Amino acid sequence: MSVEIVIQNDWAEKYRPKTFKDLIGNKKAIHELRLWAEEWEKGVPEKKAVILYGTAGIGKTSSAAVLAAEMGWEYVEMNAGDQRTADVIERIAGMASKTTTLFSHEVDEDGKKSSGRRLIVLDEADNLHGTYDKGGSKAIADVIDKTTQPILLIANDVYGITQTIRSKSMEIEFSRIQTRSLVPVLTKICQNEGITAAESAILKIAENAGGDVRSAINDLQAVTVGKTEIADEDIVISGRDVKETIFKALVKVFKGHHRSDALDAVKTLDETPEDLILWVDENLPIQFPNQSSDGKSANGINPDVANGYQVLSKADLYLGRVRRRQTYRMWRYAGFMTTVGPMSVRSKDYSGFIKYTSPSKWKRMGQSRSVRNMRDNIAVKISARHGKSMRVSRNEIIPYYRKLMENEEYAIALAGESDFDMDELVYLLKAKSATKKVQSVYEKSRFIADAKRPAEPEFFKTPESEKRSTVAAADKNQLTLEEITKKSEEKKAEEEQAAAKTEEKPKNQKSLFDF
Amino acid sequence: MREEIWVEKYRPMTLDDVFGQEATVERLKSYVRSGNLPHLLFTGPPGVGKTASSVSIAREMFGEFWSENFTELNASDERGIDVVRNKIKTFAKTAPIGGASFKIIFLDEADALTNDAQSALRRTMEKYSGNCRFILSCNYSSKIIEPIQSRCAIYRFRSLTDDAISERVKFIAEKESLTITEDGLKALVYVAGGDMRKAVNSLQAAAFIQKDIDEETIYKITATARPEDVLDLIQTALAGEFKNARDKLNVLVFEQGLSADDVMNQVYRALFKIEDLSDAEMIQLIDAVGEIDFRITEGANERIQLEALIAHFALLRRKEKE
Repeated sequence: MSVEIVIQNDWAEKYRPKTFKDLIGNKKAIHELRLWAEEWEKGVPEKKAVILYGTAGIGKTSSAAVLAAEMGWEYVEMNAGDQRTADVIERIAGMASKTTTLFSHEVDEDGKKSSGRRLIVLDEADNLHGTYDKGGSKAIADVIDKTTQPILLIANDVYGITQTIRSKSMEIEFSRIQTRSLVPVLTKICQNEGITAAESAILKIAENAGGDVRSAINDLQAVTVGKTEIADEDIVISGRDVKETIFKALVKVFKGHHRSDALDAVKTLDETPEDLILWVDENLPIQFPNQSSDGKSANGINPDVANGYQVLSKADLYLGRVRRRQTYRMWRYAGFMTTVGPMSVRSKDYSGFIKYTSPSKWKRMGQSRSVRNMRDNIAVKISARHGKSMRVSRNEIIPYYRKLMENEEYAIALAGESDFDMDELVYLLKAKSATKKVQSVYEKSRFIADAKRPAEPEFFKTPESEKRSTVAAADKNQLTLEEITKKSEEKKAEEEQAAAKTEEKPKNQKSLFDF
Repeated sequence: MREEIWVEKYRPMTLDDVFGQEATVERLKSYVRSGNLPHLLFTGPPGVGKTASSVSIAREMFGEFWSENFTELNASDERGIDVVRNKIKTFAKTAPIGGASFKIIFLDEADALTNDAQSALRRTMEKYSGNCRFILSCNYSSKIIEPIQSRCAIYRFRSLTDDAISERVKFIAEKESLTITEDGLKALVYVAGGDMRKAVNSLQAAAFIQKDIDEETIYKITATARPEDVLDLIQTALAGEFKNARDKLNVLVFEQGLSADDVMNQVYRALFKIEDLSDAEMIQLIDAVGEIDFRITEGANERIQLEALIAHFALLRRKEKE
């Protein structure tokens, strides 16, 4: 028996926006994007690349496609489903960004202007991963330097993109779409597909989607399959993991009186204990504020918070054991302690509602992890140069470097000789981001770095890189070898001095460079 | 006669046979009727019908050609990004067979995929959505990255109720001409703990011994202690009677042959049945159980660890009383 199968189509694709008018929400972001595109019509703007970032299903890729269509640009795309080693990126994006299409600057049949630009779109730019996409990040940075065509990077997490790329790009954030903007879109699709839908059913789908247009459309298609009419009770699709549900569970965890309620609420959540503990961690000190006897907030720590952290700390031990030994059985202990912990240490009921906040730590963790990685990268370069171990380089030499590099001249010399990249310089120069100062140090240090680096292979040579190497060569003449050695000797003396200084007041040092 | 494994023999062939997930099954049936399917994400604990539903969808949609148009990958065996990029692509690239308009890829334990692999998967899903549908199954949807959740209709499968399990067990018992006592059925439901696979496996194991199944057989074959016995052990320990508790423990371990893991699992479950424990006491007890559970994996002699646990229980309550 075979069931007759109708022609297949995916509404999320079918109803992808075609024009700027079709795009919903994110008005400001789209406006910025258009301004940037307009600049390209006049010439090459200062920022040749744009990073569109934000959560899933809110129109980043659609905006890119619409932009290309409306500007009459060709659309060249790469994504993480393809392997993106440096070679591949160079080959596809590098080529696409330098060649221009035939019939440049002509008007096509539809009367749309065709400036012959190509929009190079790198989807999932935060997903260049180590071994598989070797050199990918650096290749993108190079392509941005060399390109004569607009480049769009699309990412969920802007922190997943290296500082080097970010400093060369304009960042535009996309946010979640509001429920009331989603409703008309869904209603229109229903009309188009000949479906009668109850208003409340549409609203339910829209709310369920948590600001994600694609989810909303997918859910709509899912519930309307085989129907021409939908009512409230047809919506059995589970809510996506949006915050409302976890907030409800947190109320039971912090304010509840029966552990079974809290345990049940958490059970339906479908969060791993590893995620749950971050929520409880974030909210514990806020939910148990330190109040004096008259109910006013007071300084110091509330013992309930301290006791709560004792329980969380134990829960974390179990999580660590799971991670090290893969004994997932232990998750239940961690989950139980995290869920019942706050209730068990609460000495009284806390009156009044205090908003629950989502764990900022998720973001922080991502950032601090990249700082750690970067420090290791710096240590590798330093240990190669000084012949010291990684450990010594990381713990003892990096702090000196950071001190020395407060002086711009040394900063340039050290950056050049160790060939630090922009991210590493941001850290070494104690800057928050790639500021003008960092960039200038980086640019100036290139002369020294280029002189030290082996010549670029013939294959990669481009007019730009040739130009750069001639400049570097010319500059090398200005800064003679002697001068470089003299500088490094001076620096060594300075280093010793600094070392002597640090020995005088070791306490101060420790707090400054507390790793 | 060749013996078959019952979980396979009685695996649901149609969505109607999938037990205890009525609302979800109803929606899935309407996909089959329309011949149209979005990408799906099934979440829930093991043994509640995720795989069964996926296979049933394929059978009902593709009829005799179902096995050609359906592939099952277990993500926890084959988890790198390479699998997503190559294996899935290869299957997704070839055309469906027998007049079907798409194929189904069932990716079991999708939460075991690394984040990198999941990122690669998300584009693959979109790229091949013309002739391929993905059904992802996982225990925790929060371990699936948001962009993939966004591309799927999500269905949560709940733990099966005791009634759903006992109904199915009775059905199979009848087919296999077994008799099962009321107590036996209750024991089976306890052992299963919401997991149909476990229930059916235990039933088959018991049937292997005798055709009249009672409580005794079930507990014996599954190396499970009676819940009452475990509760009694805990209560005795909490009353401070260490020696008595230790004797009871010996009965479980030596006479009934329970492994330390079995004991720990049952002790953990039994603690929730004790009503007069405060939250703080409960935390202490759970922590003690967790700690010993960890030491069992690290240590050499399970029995010493179990004894340490009941000794700790005995001491805890005494401290409370003082």
